[in-house]
Amino acid sequence: MTNGRAELSAGQERQLRECYATLLDLAGSCEVPAVNAAARMAVAELHAALEGQALAFDYYSHRWIGAPVAENGREPE
Amino acid sequence: MASLGPAPARAEYWNRKTETLPRAELAKWQWRKLRRALAHAQESPFWRERLPGSIASLDDYVARVPLLYKTDLIAAQQVAPPYGTLPSTDPALGIRYHQTSGTSGHPPMRTFDTARDWTWAVDMWCTALYGAGVRSGQQGMVAFGYGLFMGFWGMHYAMERMGCTVVPSGAMDSRTRIRLIVDQGIEVLGCTPTYALRLIETAQEMGIDLTSESKLKIVVTGAEPRPESTTRAIEKGFGARVYDFAGMTELATVFMFECPSLRGSCHILETGVIEEVLHPETRRPVGYGEQGVRVMTALGREGLQVFRYWTDDLVVKRPWSDCGCGRTWDLYEGGIMGRRDDMRKIRGVSVTPAMVEDVVRGFEEVSEFQTVLRTVRGLDTIIVRVEPRPTAGSDPSGICELISTEMKRQIGIRPEVELAGAGSLPRFEVKAARFHDERSG
Repeated sequence: MTNGRAELSAGQERQLRECYATLLDLAGSCEVPAVNAAARMAVAELHAALEGQALAFDYYSHRWIGAPVAENGREPE
Repeated sequence: MASLGPAPARAEYWNRKTETLPRAELAKWQWRKLRRALAHAQESPFWRERLPGSIASLDDYVARVPLLYKTDLIAAQQVAPPYGTLPSTDPALGIRYHQTSGTSGHPPMRTFDTARDWTWAVDMWCTALYGAGVRSGQQGMVAFGYGLFMGFWGMHYAMERMGCTVVPSGAMDSRTRIRLIVDQGIEVLGCTPTYALRLIETAQEMGIDLTSESKLKIVVTGAEPRPESTTRAIEKGFGARVYDFAGMTELATVFMFECPSLRGSCHILETGVIEEVLHPETRRPVGYGEQGVRVMTALGREGLQVFRYWTDDLVVKRPWSDCGCGRTWDLYEGGIMGRRDDMRKIRGVSVTPAMVEDVVRGFEEVSEFQTVLRTVRGLDTIIVRVEPRPTAGSDPSGICELISTEMKRQIGIRPEVELAGAGSLPRFEVKAARFHDERSG
């Protein structure tokens, strides 16, 4: 785990991208407030990690404007 | 539950990949990020009106996008406070609010950050702190007010993220902070250079020798230009290495950090910013090694964006290859050397607060000082008030002549130097105001 080069392996890069995609989907769709909040924060964290590896930089939060989440956890009609 | 164990500690970089990108790749990557940022800026009424269409390249961007001044930002905010026409996202997505101090005479610049913005801002801090040698498991303290001023908020969060233990010392006085530094075995401290000197003075009053009684290794200073003599005084007082960092509220985070491999030079975090250096008068680019004004384009923030922002910071850029650390990010030699709007002409000589400080801090007998510019018998005159340390001896008056002579030698102008009583000059935690221009007109 500890090494002087500290670069992602191909497998780790794939895992990172998959996690990001999964959480991005969850953040945009899940109506459970606690899970939605956790997913959005996790997306932000993973996006920073991807950006640091020069893998992605295209996420903007405005995608989520008007998306979930009402107080009762349901999207407003 | 499986233990993750300590975070990796031997790697030299927070993100080796982006910190060592070949320059050509870095330029391509910056351009890709900039294109996205420009597209996103169409969400902002201010930027939609201001940005030209179809920007084809980085050169085209520099040629066609007008410089942005603080007055532009303030005017755009005044349209409909608090943020006016600037935001590129709904401010309701903001998770935190900060504002500038307004010490430059402008109304404060108000900012918000989304979760994405703040995470990015903290990661920029992590990059800089890791570069300065901060590692998981260390004990840290951030000594500032934890208020509206953005200052060292990012350092606090970054140290948490890196796995350090952080002591929040927001409402504490200097004596309590000194006690904690010693008792908690603080290894990493963040504060302004001015406040670092204040802590050293306080420790001396308490009879504490920080060089032997504390575990401090790294002192991160920022938020003020400071000369090398001040750095030396802080390092001597703490017995720790001082690193110069600088950030901006308009960016939300740091844009440069001093590299352990090249004393006094600061790498620009070029994955997060595009930095131009322009001649203060002609506004044309200056080359490596020439002093100019820093112009910043922020690549990471989505809520409040800035493109080609005239910062008034005076800098000298050097090529990345001057440093042996392996990063491909260019450097600012000597960090921020001063501010163009702080520069004053005194009898034909350009003088900045940092130039005066550099001379005065060379005298260990001085604990605090103040500079006043005044018209005396029709002549512009510098008056320097110095407060001697109690240890300076029974007759410290001789120091006035020494300081006056040294200023004449280094700056080219002889000031009037006066002694001030013990404790009579103001102390500062952030944004020291030691330079007062009382000349009429």
